[in-house]
Amino acid sequence: MPAPRRLAVLRCLDWSAVVAAKNSTTPCAVIHAQRVISRTPAALRYGVQVGMRRRHAQALCPDIEIVAHQPSRDRTAFDAVVRVVNELVPLIEVSEPGLIVFAARGPSRYMGGDGPMALKIVEALKTSVADSRLTALLVGVGVADSRLAAQIASHASAMASSSANLFVPYVVEPDKTNEWLAPQSVRVLGEFASINRETISLLERLGLNALRDVCALSESVLAGRFGELGVELHRLSRGDEQYPLAVVPHPPEHLCIEKFDEPVSDQQIIINSVQRMAVAFTEYYSVHGSVCVRIVISFESEAGKRSERLWYRPQGLTTSAIIENAKWQLEAWLASQLASDISGDPESHALENHALENYGLVRVQLIADEVRTDTAQQLRLWGGSTQTDETATQAISRLSELLGSSAVQVAKWQGGRDVLDSYELVSATHAQTIGSASSHEQVPAHKWRGALPNPSPSVVYSEPIQVQINDQFGKLLSVSARHELSASPVVVIIGATHYKVNSWAGPWPVEERWWDSARSRRLVRLQLVCEKITVDSASQILAMLAILEHGEWTVAAIYS
Amino acid sequence: MQLDTKQRITELSIKELLVTQQLNTKPQVVERLAVADDVRELLPDSGLVRGRIVRCSGDAGLSLALSLCSLATQQGSWLGVVGVDHLGLLAAVEHGVALERTVLVHPPKTSREWSITVAAAIEGLDLLIVAVPERLSVNDARRVQTRLQSRRAVMIIVDNTVLSQSRSMNGSNEAQQFLADVVLDTKTKSWSGVDKGAGYLQHRDVRIRVSGRRVARERNYLVTRSC
Repeated sequence: MPAPRRLAVLRCLDWSAVVAAKNSTTPCAVIHAQRVISRTPAALRYGVQVGMRRRHAQALCPDIEIVAHQPSRDRTAFDAVVRVVNELVPLIEVSEPGLIVFAARGPSRYMGGDGPMALKIVEALKTSVADSRLTALLVGVGVADSRLAAQIASHASAMASSSANLFVPYVVEPDKTNEWLAPQSVRVLGEFASINRETISLLERLGLNALRDVCALSESVLAGRFGELGVELHRLSRGDEQYPLAVVPHPPEHLCIEKFDEPVSDQQIIINSVQRMAVAFTEYYSVHGSVCVRIVISFESEAGKRSERLWYRPQGLTTSAIIENAKWQLEAWLASQLASDISGDPESHALENHALENYGLVRVQLIADEVRTDTAQQLRLWGGSTQTDETATQAISRLSELLGSSAVQVAKWQGGRDVLDSYELVSATHAQTIGSASSHEQVPAHKWRGALPNPSPSVVYSEPIQVQINDQFGKLLSVSARHELSASPVVVIIGATHYKVNSWAGPWPVEERWWDSARSRRLVRLQLVCEKITVDSASQILAMLAILEHGEWTVAAIYS
Repeated sequence: MQLDTKQRITELSIKELLVTQQLNTKPQVVERLAVADDVRELLPDSGLVRGRIVRCSGDAGLSLALSLCSLATQQGSWLGVVGVDHLGLLAAVEHGVALERTVLVHPPKTSREWSITVAAAIEGLDLLIVAVPERLSVNDARRVQTRLQSRRAVMIIVDNTVLSQSRSMNGSNEAQQFLADVVLDTKTKSWSGVDKGAGYLQHRDVRIRVSGRRVARERNYLVTRSC
């Protein structure tokens, strides 16, 4: 019987936007794949919400600062916060920039209670973080028995702190998590436990609005309707962890500890040894029919300093995920060592040799913290049945290591009537199943209503290109409320090039999600066949898909 | 004694001759990847020969490349799309490409890093659709080509469609770092299905010119493609 544990979650609201913004008062939104993923409180005042399209956000707030999403920037900026918390709490888990999770029992006992612990940590944070942008940071701390409850609590704490203008931690009484979770809306499952939106909306339509309704149904009923997902929903709603933990004997020492006789300061050698261990590690667990969900990566330097951090992935850690996390941890640790050494030692050239000596690592260790059973839907290392699949997945993981996981992507069916939305690109390391047809089972035989007919364009711009479409009098083309064009399109101007319009089809109106103010869209689509006379008097035919949204024409795709 | 040595030397040289003759006889069967019916006649060997480079240029190049790859991916080969910005995945599915065996790779556009990426992709993937960066050096290109031949993979070169550029879109003005074995130059003649607001884009007439090192005679085809 594992000891009941308490988890504390420290949340920095809207971390991406706060880091990206120039200062704390300007409204700023961080965009990824045309949607807002994070916005500052200043932008919220104008009504900008997460999930909105960029043009919608700009229409609401013209002065808004739009910044592209850069995970590395968020991560390096968050290292400062992590360092501060790490001094008070020895073992922490950083699942994403802006969120720190740690076991609360030990620190709480040491600092005299859950509340005082939270207050102490946030106070240390506020005093040490001197950056002007971060002084307006909204921080919340929640303490509860389960991960989901602690996340909800931290969000509530952050909201309460912002309205009260002073920090208010939120502590859920031990053993009361179940009762506390009961009245929460099922939407929290979507926000904090990454259950997808469609499932949540389906639950609401079935009449299950609060978590207590989900608990009231038996696990078998939910499993019958949703499959594996149903079991997870039930577990989360009653306050358990998302996946049942398995008890597996620890792997033998030689698989997960590597000691170097000579201190190693070359990062590549360290990463290679982590790679070897990660492969053996995951193999060991997969042989036992399970996969590691939470892992401690520990580095020890020659000088005796240690870096230990928890890493968590609910679906299970793959080899490449472990390697990537180890790289981040190592970089962050070396950066912090450098920072502390520079501040400590006034002499500069003695510093270099001194620093290099201290960076040598003598020990690397992987310790499994939480392990869950490997279900049939999940592949522990991806890849498949045939030799071709094996070699291909090896090549893919090699490419992911070379370029980073975000530069190597596979397609995942998402569904939608926009040519851009039907397939989502996910990074290959995070794709759960590769090379299996099951991930494409959901592709419907017929198209969505309102989707463009075949053929689909082969070049689709993720950032549509602004164009001007004029009629014969040089006036910009518009579309009336009855979805009629104001005149026939005659010329399309892209940059400095003029294209003559030969024929067109449309306009086809689309109105999506009028009930969801953040994601609603009203646009009109037009297919155009244009011609350009080039310098050597050859004519070039170009077929494109143009979109009119918020009064602006853009080219979304080209039939190439 | 002298006769013996002479005899031995002659014996040895005859043996060498036989061995080198054995090495020189290569199997006559050329290994190739299968290609869908509607594009098979375009290729000189009725298939994508392993170790060779095909270039699809012009304004219907990308969709032609997808058509060429479709049957091979359905039969189990893996496809890597390297450096092609803005690929329409729905279009790939319509051409018949098996997306569960497709990977999209976005390397940096510098010569060395691009060539390292492509070399790493060649190691495990049979089929590649690549867009060549302008600054690719001749040495890096040669290295990639050698690796392609030794690993028996197929590379299809396409252009990244760039709007609002004054020079013509077909790559005849660009420097060719790769010596393509087959060049399929496409040019859209007309689109049918649309007229002054009615209908929708359905078919197009494309003129495809087949040329290249492995093609004896340049040929022109006029095909109607539904994409």
